[in-house]
Amino acid sequence: MRTFTHINAHTVNEACELLGQYRGKARLNAGGTDLLAMLKGDIWPEYPEAVINVKTIPGLDSITENDNVLKIGALALLSDVAKSPTIKEKCGVLAKAALSVGSPLIRNVATIGGNLCQAPRCWYYRYPRRLGGPLPCLRKGTGPCLAVKGDNRYHAILEGKGCFAVCTSDIAVALAALDAKITIAGPKGERSISVVDFFQPLGNTLKIDEMIKDFQIPATMLSMEQRFLKFTLRKPIDFAIVSVAASIGLNNGVCTDARIILGAVAPMPFRAKAAEEKIVGQPISDNVAAEAAEKALANAKPLSMNAYKVEIAKTLVRRAIKGSTAGLGE
Amino acid sequence: MEVKVNEQTRKKSEEDKHISLVINGNQYSLEVGYGSYQVKPSDTLAYTLRETLGLTGTKVSCDDGACGSCTVLMSSKAVPSCMILTVECAGKDITTIEGLGDPKTGTLDPLQQSFVDHTAFQCGFCTPGMIMSAKALLNENPHPTEEEIKEALSGNFCRCISHYQVLEAVLAASEKDGGDND
Amino acid sequence: MIDSYRYIGKETPRRDGAEVVTGSAEYVDDIRFTNLLYGEVLRSPHPHARIKQIEKSKAEVLGGVEAILTWENVPDWKFGTPTIFRILDRKVRFVGDAVAIIAARTKDIAREAARLIEVEYEVLPPVFDMEAAMKPGAPQLYEELPGNKLPLYAPVLGPKSLTEIVMGDVEKGFAEADVIAEGTFGYENIPNPLPPEPPSAVALWQEPNKVTVWVSNQQVWLNRKILSEIFGDNVEVRAIGGPCGGSYGSKVMSWQVQCYAAALSKATGKPVKVCFSKEEHLAAFVLRPETRIHARVGMKKDGTVTAISGKWLLGTGYYSMTTQAQLSVGAGEAQIAVRCANWDVKPTIVCTNRNASGIVRGFGGQELKCALIPLLSLAMEKADLDPFEVLKKNYLKPGDGYYWRDGNWYSYRGVDYTKAMEKGAQTFGWKAKWKGWLKPTALNGTKRTGVGVGIHGNADIGEDVSEAYVRLDPEGRAVIYSSVTEHGTGQRSNCIKVVAEVLQLPLEAVSITPSDTLITPVEWGPAGSRGTYAILSAAIAAAEDAKQKLLQFTAPLLGVGMGDLETEDGFIWVKNRPDNRITWKDALELRTVLGHGRFNPDYSFANCMMSFVEVEVDTETGKVTLLRVVNATDVGQIIDPPGIRGQLNGCLGTAGIDSALFEETVLDRATGCVLNANMIDYKWRTFSELPPIDNVIMETPFPSHRFGAVGIGEVATSPGPSAVLMATSNAIGVWLHEYPVTPQRVLEALGKVGSK
Ligand SMILES: Cc1cc2nc3c(=O)[nH]c(=O)nc-3n(C[C@H](O)[C@H](O)[C@H](O)COP(=O)(O)OP(=O)(O)OC[C@H]3O[C@@H](n4cnc5c(N)ncnc54)[C@H](O)[C@@H]3O)c2cc1C
Ligand code: SF4
Ligand code: FES
Ligand code: FES
Repeated sequence: MRTFTHINAHTVNEACELLGQYRGKARLNAGGTDLLAMLKGDIWPEYPEAVINVKTIPGLDSITENDNVLKIGALALLSDVAKSPTIKEKCGVLAKAALSVGSPLIRNVATIGGNLCQAPRCWYYRYPRRLGGPLPCLRKGTGPCLAVKGDNRYHAILEGKGCFAVCTSDIAVALAALDAKITIAGPKGERSISVVDFFQPLGNTLKIDEMIKDFQIPATMLSMEQRFLKFTLRKPIDFAIVSVAASIGLNNGVCTDARIILGAVAPMPFRAKAAEEKIVGQPISDNVAAEAAEKALANAKPLSMNAYKVEIAKTLVRRAIKGSTAGLGE
Repeated sequence: MEVKVNEQTRKKSEEDKHISLVINGNQYSLEVGYGSYQVKPSDTLAYTLRETLGLTGTKVSCDDGACGSCTVLMSSKAVPSCMILTVECAGKDITTIEGLGDPKTGTLDPLQQSFVDHTAFQCGFCTPGMIMSAKALLNENPHPTEEEIKEALSGNFCRCISHYQVLEAVLAASEKDGGDND
Repeated sequence: MIDSYRYIGKETPRRDGAEVVTGSAEYVDDIRFTNLLYGEVLRSPHPHARIKQIEKSKAEVLGGVEAILTWENVPDWKFGTPTIFRILDRKVRFVGDAVAIIAARTKDIAREAARLIEVEYEVLPPVFDMEAAMKPGAPQLYEELPGNKLPLYAPVLGPKSLTEIVMGDVEKGFAEADVIAEGTFGYENIPNPLPPEPPSAVALWQEPNKVTVWVSNQQVWLNRKILSEIFGDNVEVRAIGGPCGGSYGSKVMSWQVQCYAAALSKATGKPVKVCFSKEEHLAAFVLRPETRIHARVGMKKDGTVTAISGKWLLGTGYYSMTTQAQLSVGAGEAQIAVRCANWDVKPTIVCTNRNASGIVRGFGGQELKCALIPLLSLAMEKADLDPFEVLKKNYLKPGDGYYWRDGNWYSYRGVDYTKAMEKGAQTFGWKAKWKGWLKPTALNGTKRTGVGVGIHGNADIGEDVSEAYVRLDPEGRAVIYSSVTEHGTGQRSNCIKVVAEVLQLPLEAVSITPSDTLITPVEWGPAGSRGTYAILSAAIAAAEDAKQKLLQFTAPLLGVGMGDLETEDGFIWVKNRPDNRITWKDALELRTVLGHGRFNPDYSFANCMMSFVEVEVDTETGKVTLLRVVNATDVGQIIDPPGIRGQLNGCLGTAGIDSALFEETVLDRATGCVLNANMIDYKWRTFSELPPIDNVIMETPFPSHRFGAVGIGEVATSPGPSAVLMATSNAIGVWLHEYPVTPQRVLEALGKVGSK
């Protein structure tokens, strides 16, 4: 790995100030499971001058419940999120999503905030320098996108435009299903944004001197039925080919409220509003689930090699909707 | 005023020139810098262990967090040492494969002995990492089920497919351990 | 089976066990050197280009950089088949091809230097498809290889190496057939054997003509032979081998990484280490050869195969070292698996602008079998035959023969494998599970299960030469001199076992030298499955020779003929008079005894492995899950039970069964880049996906060596992939003919997704 200046930040303010000072040429390091991969591969057009350790900021890893809001610090470890009794009990979808990430080794160091901010998994984007990379990439602003005409088996089937890299953050999908808010700290103070709005087609809304401080989950969502399904070739290590997180309110088998989020199908977590509308007010049945799944993917525009993801996505939506009434475990 | 704060921050980080940490029960104080016995800011823990401290029992295979060859215990949890910066290990307590058993008498840790007894390896390159992951599990859960062992080792790559024998070795070690404690 | 062995067939701990579990086993990258420099490779971003200019001045002035070599100043070392491949050339032929090699005081400096080298290329059009590469007007990789075709002859196998399968009269054969099937079948996903330890080497060149190389592979002597051919016989090559972190064949092809280290050491006078990173390992080291056949098979209603004819394309990537030999062995193995009187299979080896193919477990035969069995399956379907019965019937039987890799005909003198196959089928429950072609074994909601069977065998178990010395020390100990390194099979421990058995010594009294060509004798090493028969035969012979010499020397001392003497645990006594005994030390005093053993090639044995698999297909997602594996074989005599178990369980990984399920090297046909050159995107089996494996191992003694054993390890990976294809096709009721069976392919086959 090429070297950099390393700075331990001790407060959120300090971290943001440093980010500002370096004008985009510094990167925060939380668990490092993604950042170090990016640095080792020397993949970004500009190698960072500084790495700012945020693990030295006290208190950012706490998980607390207050005033009907569950607050999770950005530095909470995925293994702690997966194990936390409160999270398991009240937002199982998040615990499951956390447990599905990587492997126990990864989860013991990876953080929830880092998970949301991970760089795209697109294999063109990540093609390493040592093998003759990096490759041109629209998202990096270094040329046309090679994935559109290349091997796009894992790329977007929905809402891709210019860049077809999908959002592979499992945590983002779960948090979006929980309608979580993100607290972002910057030099001018804090702001709050919903998880769905946090993501943008080519990245996220973080300014160069901002960082995620914590996540807040409203209590209304906590009581809904939750389900997380992640389709991969192998259980550990693999990123989602498609994932679905759903929160579904039920009253006597009739759906009263729903949030259905698809992961790894679009550059951002994709909220399947049409599917939600389809099931709200309906008793959950095979037919309703199937119709909702069709609706969810109605606008899918697969690329040359990933039409299969549409089928898988439909299946997962169906299963998520049905499973939520049956209360089936994984 | 703001600039001043920043300069202080910088200075303070300059002062973080020594990293104190415990490895296998020994206190180390590592100097940060660019000399051959110093730790560079970009050195991973795996690199420091192997190249700076000569603890080559920790193996590096993928250098990408995906294979578990480099597993060590940090505050008794199994972690991939290739994805951790050494400069961020200040104050940590680390155990590597060299820290198991008793190097003086040559007595193996019961888990290591169980790996030998079950020939739970072929080429052996994955074995130190495998043992460290299993060790972390047994520390936390002395009597795991087979499923729990599989889960705990699910980030450890073994290309020779010694998995079946590893499972037996870990199960046997946990049973033995139980016998001793009961 | 003799039950009176002291060690043979018993579970004994691996000799290197303590080192392995304490992390003190020293793999190449663990060895410490003084003054060591680190080598780094600058790799090409283009799949095909001519180097116009290399500007290295910026890199040269970087502190700590000690040498930068390019095609202009590197020694003109060449290797491969034919011998035309340079370690650095003025042309690059795949993305990742070496452009420059750098030695520096640290890895980081070497890498930084690589960044600072500026290369100007004249980009040339690449070609990635085998057939396209042979077309007129296609880009030419080498002037020496018109049409991108390689010569088929494999000099390493002798003057008339097997270059095709031609015998009998195929027209007559097809006329006799009840059914004929024809088609194009491939095994083209070029999986990577991916040992955990990446290719690595350290070299120290001492002018004018001495080089020591610390290697990571299974055979130092063969390694020395390869390097001597490259450097010339006037260079004294010493190869030292320690534990090897997995090879699965591939690391025999370490000449490039070793030559980089040697050239950099020659340029700097210091030891130089080159260790590939995992991404280099995945994108610039050995893959399986690509195979495609256009072929036709004739079959009778009783399953007799009457004729096989066709074309066999082998893709070797940008160069070949052993692809020709793989062709020869694969061609031999085809005849072993399918008894057929009439063959006309003509191979072609093609080079394209991708990373090289080479040695991987299964060595040519797995590649051919993975295409051939699907073709045979079509004929079996037409004739409505059970594939287990057909494969069993057509496998080599005692007295049958085959043309082997050297072009000669051999008669098989091993055991009949029918019983092992039947026992395997019984263990698997084949009869109950087989429902007919393209019929699932069971339906369970949206899931279906299916079964498949595959077969493979290799007459390499007695290939090539082995030698060993056994030295007897007066204290009742023995030392084995062998060039075998430990790469996972337990071969070194097995050498100790057989020598202890022959000499009747405690295992602890037998040790084995490090493998070092300065000390240890000639040895082809554990290639194929030759360890048990070839390598152990040499060790056994050396021990017997030493024992004979010991007794010969002792006989006059005890006043008897040597035939009257016995030895055990360091004592020698007169038969039936155990009281009349002396110790080795009494006999030898200050003297050692050296025995020599040699094994000469014997191609009259072939091993056999049949694998049964059951898979489950989720018809809604296309995911295929391996539910169960049964492997069946007969090995004559098990030497080491945990060892053989490990080898057979190895059927899953190392580009074996999993190459049909999820393993593949993803080559981007637009850029030539390997897109999944990391261990997240290259898929491998984890602890969470372990199917039950049953290994049915029979022990019918072979007339091999005194323990009646033959080797099996290498072929464990080979029968499985085609069995998975068969099982998946049966589960979904549609033929699948591409590896691996990804969700995409399954959903397309089911008609749920339009194919591209
Ligand atoms: C083998 C392997 C498997 C993986 N599998 C999965 C998977 O299945 N699912 C999945 O979702 N991910 C997966 N990941 C990706 C990722 O590493 C993890 O999800 C992890 O959660 C990232 O967290 P981290 O703390 O390690 O992030 P870091 O690497 O520390 O940071 C990642 C990025 O986020 C930025 N960042 C970190 N914290 C903050 C913050 N508080 N505010 C603003 N920016 C911040 C960093 O600057 C960096 O750019 C995997 C990674 C590996 C190596
Ligand atoms: S999909 Fe996006 S990240 Fe990938 S190559 Fe195209 S633009 Fe770059
Ligand atoms: S080497 Fe660290 S996880 Fe693979
Ligand atoms: S024993 Fe070889 S990789 Fe596990």
